[in-house]
Amino acid sequence: METQTPALSSQIDQLRIEALSAIAEASDALALKEARVRYLGKTGSVSLLSEGMRTLSKEERPVMGKLLNDLRTTVTAALDEKESVLTIQADAAALASIDTSLPGTAPGAGSLHPLTLLVDRAVQIFRRLGFAIADGPDIESEWHCFDALNTPADHPARNEQDTFYLPDGRLLRTHTSSIQIRTMVANPPPIRIIAPGAAYRRDEVDATHLAQFTQMEGLYVAPSVSLADLKGTIEFFFRELFGAGTEIRFRPHFFPFTEPSYEIDLRTEALGGKWMELAGCGMVDPAVFEEVNKKRGDNAYDPEKVSGFAFGFGLDRLAMNLTGVSDIRMLTENDLRFLSRFTA
Amino acid sequence: MKISLSWLRDYLRTDKPAAEIARILTDAGLEVGAIEATGVAIPKVVAAQILESVQHPNADRLSVCKVNDGSGTPRQIVCGAKNYKVGDKVPLAQPGAVMPGDFKIKVGKLRGVESEGMMCSSKELGLGEGTDGLLILPPETAIGTPLSELFPAEEVFEIEITPNRPDWLGHLGVAREAAAFGCGELIAEEPSLPSTNEDSSVAAIAAPVAASFYSIRRIDGVKVGPSPEWLRKRLESVGLRSINNIVDVTNFVMFETAQPLHAFDAGKIDGALTVRFATEGEAFTALDGKEHKLTAHDLVIADAKGPQAIAGITGGVASGVSEATTSILLESALFEPTVIRRSSRALGISTDSSYRFERGIDAQGVLTASARAAALIVELAGGTSSAELVVAGSLPPSHVVSLRGDRARSILGIDLDNSAITSLLTKLGLKKITGEAALGFEIPSWRNDLTREVDLIEEVARLHGINTISAKCMGIPAASSEADKAYDFARGLRRRLSGGGFHEARSGTLTGSRDQAAFAPKGSGGVVSVRNPMGEEHSTLRASLIPGLLEAVSRNLRHGTDSIRLFEIGKVYQQEQPEESMRLGLVMTGRRAPENWRGKEEGKRSLDLYDLKGFIQLLGNRLEPITFRGTTHASLPLALEILIAGKSVGILGVLSPSATRELMVGGHQGQIVVAELDLHALQAANGIGFSKDPKKHGSLPKFPTVRRDLALLMEAATPYAAVEEAVLGAKEELFSSVIPFDVFSDPEGVKVPLGKKSLAIALTFLHPERTLTTEEVNEAVTRIVAKLREAAGAEVRG
Repeated sequence: METQTPALSSQIDQLRIEALSAIAEASDALALKEARVRYLGKTGSVSLLSEGMRTLSKEERPVMGKLLNDLRTTVTAALDEKESVLTIQADAAALASIDTSLPGTAPGAGSLHPLTLLVDRAVQIFRRLGFAIADGPDIESEWHCFDALNTPADHPARNEQDTFYLPDGRLLRTHTSSIQIRTMVANPPPIRIIAPGAAYRRDEVDATHLAQFTQMEGLYVAPSVSLADLKGTIEFFFRELFGAGTEIRFRPHFFPFTEPSYEIDLRTEALGGKWMELAGCGMVDPAVFEEVNKKRGDNAYDPEKVSGFAFGFGLDRLAMNLTGVSDIRMLTENDLRFLSRFTA
Repeated sequence: MKISLSWLRDYLRTDKPAAEIARILTDAGLEVGAIEATGVAIPKVVAAQILESVQHPNADRLSVCKVNDGSGTPRQIVCGAKNYKVGDKVPLAQPGAVMPGDFKIKVGKLRGVESEGMMCSSKELGLGEGTDGLLILPPETAIGTPLSELFPAEEVFEIEITPNRPDWLGHLGVAREAAAFGCGELIAEEPSLPSTNEDSSVAAIAAPVAASFYSIRRIDGVKVGPSPEWLRKRLESVGLRSINNIVDVTNFVMFETAQPLHAFDAGKIDGALTVRFATEGEAFTALDGKEHKLTAHDLVIADAKGPQAIAGITGGVASGVSEATTSILLESALFEPTVIRRSSRALGISTDSSYRFERGIDAQGVLTASARAAALIVELAGGTSSAELVVAGSLPPSHVVSLRGDRARSILGIDLDNSAITSLLTKLGLKKITGEAALGFEIPSWRNDLTREVDLIEEVARLHGINTISAKCMGIPAASSEADKAYDFARGLRRRLSGGGFHEARSGTLTGSRDQAAFAPKGSGGVVSVRNPMGEEHSTLRASLIPGLLEAVSRNLRHGTDSIRLFEIGKVYQQEQPEESMRLGLVMTGRRAPENWRGKEEGKRSLDLYDLKGFIQLLGNRLEPITFRGTTHASLPLALEILIAGKSVGILGVLSPSATRELMVGGHQGQIVVAELDLHALQAANGIGFSKDPKKHGSLPKFPTVRRDLALLMEAATPYAAVEEAVLGAKEELFSSVIPFDVFSDPEGVKVPLGKKSLAIALTFLHPERTLTTEEVNEAVTRIVAKLREAAGAEVRG
């Protein structure tokens, strides 16, 4: 029997050259897939050659089998390698086609109102000092807003010209200080609260006045609270809010519900580097404690046993200064061109 | 209140400059708001006479003058003004003078010609606006006189006086305070108290509750005329007009001592002057000529004919001092502050006098001011003052307030000893009269505000100075409150909303009643109004956040904004309980996304009901999801009730097309969608979210879901809810979820028959413990399809 080995062997060599060249020429994934089918598929060239094995002698088979296996391995490796090259090329091309200079297309972002941001900063600072939040109604009784705060019956603030009254004789609170009273009437000392909220005064609305404004109130009542505690708390707060370099000046003043009373002036770069009157504060007047005790029907706020400080400041003018707005009405007009400047 | 510095210096020996005095007063609690400087305080500006004036050789608009400034040598001055003639006297700023704005005068050349100074306009001297021309001085002005002599410099403080310190309403009181705070030495004469005599035929008090003390001094033979220069200047410096020497003296003494005085023309007074309440309807013509109808609450000074003055407020025209007056009755009295305040307010008359009586005056000052004014009147208007002061009533005695040193130290957080505290208080005129443990102090008559221990503690704090107190920053921390929880919830919500593209709005509480009626939950009957609003547009407390948000939409559309998403978290008010509640209001309209280059793909679509509906669903909780139910609403033709656990918590809807057209400008398209939710209910529902029940949160499905899509054909009017109900109604054990992913109808009737619609839904199936088989899913789908046909009339499309 004539040996077929040389013929088959040369066919294998030929097929290797042809396959490797086809693989090298394949320029995309489709061409490569065709090549894989053509050579390694069920009816591919390599498989057809394997068919020829059956006609070989026992001695030739292992030799040719090895040659055919080598061919299959070589072609497979070449296909795989080419595939990985093409994938890398295709991936690179896909990314290269992206024009990265086109603008991004995020959905429109929202914003938080500057007063909200300011209130929140203040709240977070006072919380670090262990203050809790308290609240109370905007519609308030005269007792909570004035009488309990040691304000005489004929005080000018109680005028119809200055204060909004409801038909039933109640009023829109003229300051958030009424929340101090509500908190003390409802809870025994110690009290350590802040109260952000709205207050109302019958002001003609113009560039620097609103009939409604935003205030933050604070109260600390416990045994042996002193003016030194008030000073430390106020200084800590404003330096946290505006920076360590903030200068703070306490100016003696008069409020019916605190004694001694002070107005607080600040000077800081954040507010334009000029002295600015920002807040009022003082030691709770014993007359306020006495009124609270009367309402509670006990002596929980015995002025001989507890003392306290209170402070309050307006946030609208502060927000104006921090945002560079010259007309306070901007804070209530909800103009998106203004609002969208403030992100959360 | 104006305080003139030169006047203040009559009672205060100090070498401190104005700014330093202002600082000390401010630290003491007299807030100096402004220092107003008048006159000329610039050295080296003198009166000079123009000797000759020739045209400048190199400049058409300039002249070269020779002037005599009294130095002996004429000076050459280049000048641009034209309003003078040779021989005029004008102000000359000599070399070395520093003009306002730190402009230094030097010898120098102007267009090649030497100029040895500057001739000045009034504006350049800071004497007011004036014209640009030179200030021409009167011909009699002596050459070389410093301008600071012709126009004496005056500095006036504008001081905010707190209502507790009426003693600061006179220069003497301010001087006293300044001295106590180390600003200099008080110049005060020990007052000589006049001898007094009670004579009810001259002065009487018939209303002792309203006047504790009344005094009259008669001065005969006065000559009413103009006041001397110094007096006029004093009054002008605090903003008063000179009237005549008598009235000016009473005003001067008031601004000196804070004691208001009144001078009656004695010739017009008939019988005794009696302090009494007016009779109801009694008529009175005030000094300003205005007529007033008095009531029984008004206190008057009356003679036999009737009221001659409203006590402490204003005199009457009938008995006022005039050119013809030769005898006067000088009143000095102590009236009850509340009576004066009530009258002043009721009658609408506020005067320098009422302002002081309302706040309370120095009891001893009643006598000294009377004596001071009488002496000045005799000096300036001649005449003879009666030896005795006719008085009625009595002056209150001085009172004593005690202070425990320990109490002061504890409240202020200081460690001053008792003697240091005493020496501080002594500076204010308090006299220590008793004690060691509790210090007793006699209070000076001008300090009616000092009645309690805490009042003295305040004075210690003021004098010691808060700057010397070392700050402490400690305290007992407070447990977080319900208000803290509500704040934190709202805070988180705000951030979620802004992250979702919403801008936060803040609108006012007070709005127009018409706006509110449309969205008030109970109609306009339930809204709360104020009885003294600033106009109808601010008369009503908002009952809903929606009107404010719609106003913002309208404003922003006018500005050309094409995409609006706003929210507001705030209080609304109603007559029923709860009277006040927190709400979340939402509004959206316009483009869904900002314009971008993707063109059709996204962004072109307008926001609509489903956008807001979807967003609101995100605000709920998986275990207690937000659901919706169709409802009717007066202002929202398309309205859904927002439900949590079946309970209504708010409303979602689309504004009516007519209301939309009213708000829309510039061809803006699309719906305006609004919603309002109760914040408390939303917070309560969110509270459930964080549960430790493993059935709720703990386990995740281990096996994959199987999805089957169905294309359904049904009546166009059948709502999606009917489909969903049918799917859920099949109660398939393996069923997991249903999602609609396409809704389509064809107005041409080609792709979908007319009156029908095509709805594509995706069904998912899941078994928690094993992989599903195709057969069991097919069987479930078959049963669902049957249910869809039966319950919703929906057929699967071929």
